[in-house]
Amino acid sequence: MAETPQLGFQTPHRIVLLVASIVLLALVLELVRRQRFKERYALLWLIVALFGVGVGTFPRSIVWLAHLAHVQFLTVFFALSFLFLLGLVLSFSVVISRLSEQNRDLAQEIGLLTHRLRRLENDHDGSES
Amino acid sequence: MNSRVLVIIPAYNEAETIASVLRRLREETPEYDVLVVDDGSEDATAAIVASAGGAELVRLPFNLGIGGAMQAGYKYALRHGYEIAVQCDADGQHPVDRIRDLVAHVIAGDGDMIIGSRYVADTDYTPSVGRRVGKSLLSRLVDAIVGGGITDTTSGFRAMNRKVIELFARQYPEDYPEPETLVVLHKHGLRVAEIPVDMQPRQGGETSIGPNKAAYYMIKVCLAILMNVLRRSARIPGGG
Repeated sequence: MAETPQLGFQTPHRIVLLVASIVLLALVLELVRRQRFKERYALLWLIVALFGVGVGTFPRSIVWLAHLAHVQFLTVFFALSFLFLLGLVLSFSVVISRLSEQNRDLAQEIGLLTHRLRRLENDHDGSES
Repeated sequence: MNSRVLVIIPAYNEAETIASVLRRLREETPEYDVLVVDDGSEDATAAIVASAGGAELVRLPFNLGIGGAMQAGYKYALRHGYEIAVQCDADGQHPVDRIRDLVAHVIAGDGDMIIGSRYVADTDYTPSVGRRVGKSLLSRLVDAIVGGGITDTTSGFRAMNRKVIELFARQYPEDYPEPETLVVLHKHGLRVAEIPVDMQPRQGGETSIGPNKAAYYMIKVCLAILMNVLRRSARIPGGG
């Protein structure tokens, strides 16, 4: 096992990471600009993109983290990505739950208001004729 | 139209049976107001209710499920100032001639909510083993939390006073809500009692729960009930 060469965080990796992060950054900003994305959700993605840019610019940080954990730097990437996606999905579940609750309340309200409206219309017609 | 009792009937695609339920209600309890909550039916349920007359109709814009439909009914009862609400199925299983008994027990103060429990097994209906096991597990769980005394935790034939109406208008479980509501009531210090009633087999239409769905509901409801126990009970603002 000791013979496995430690893969370093080399220039090609940095370039790929930097390009990917900048594309992501541009994409998120563009989506927000076109109002396809709420700012509060864009924030999470912006943090990720900035994180990528940061690591691409200061590669030692991730190598240092990998050393600390006794894993290769790719593992650190995967672990961080996994945690991020997990957090994102979790927050989506929370948001969906709240939306479905509001959706239910609105549907009930529409039903009750429509009933009331019909009743008022009937009363109105009755008093006119 | 100014009685103090409202009979709430949640209906989802019950065109076959709703008219006869409404007719029996008119015969048995003409002095009670009736509200049908049409839970986004795709069949003629709403049209039948409208033409039958004698019942108010609230139509939900899409299907919410039994919990959402019933809660709409409780909100209606709350806003229109009813003192007592009765929940009754649209499929003809519930003995309409016993509604007066349920209401009498609520008025007498025997409980904040009175359940009509089936004590005779439905003759035409033999539930699958899975469903029986699920039901008995659920009952035991509710029993353990509430402290016993309820034999039929899944009955949707119930009458309740204003305190319960207020609570349900604010907070009502979604699918398969009956067992969970017992836990909710218990947490809020409201009393539940039951009287035995005969239930009829379905008069028509389809049961809305298949076996897979039943298992899913089972697990979901158990989780919901346990969470309810862990949750701090929120007091009704300004109420009992």
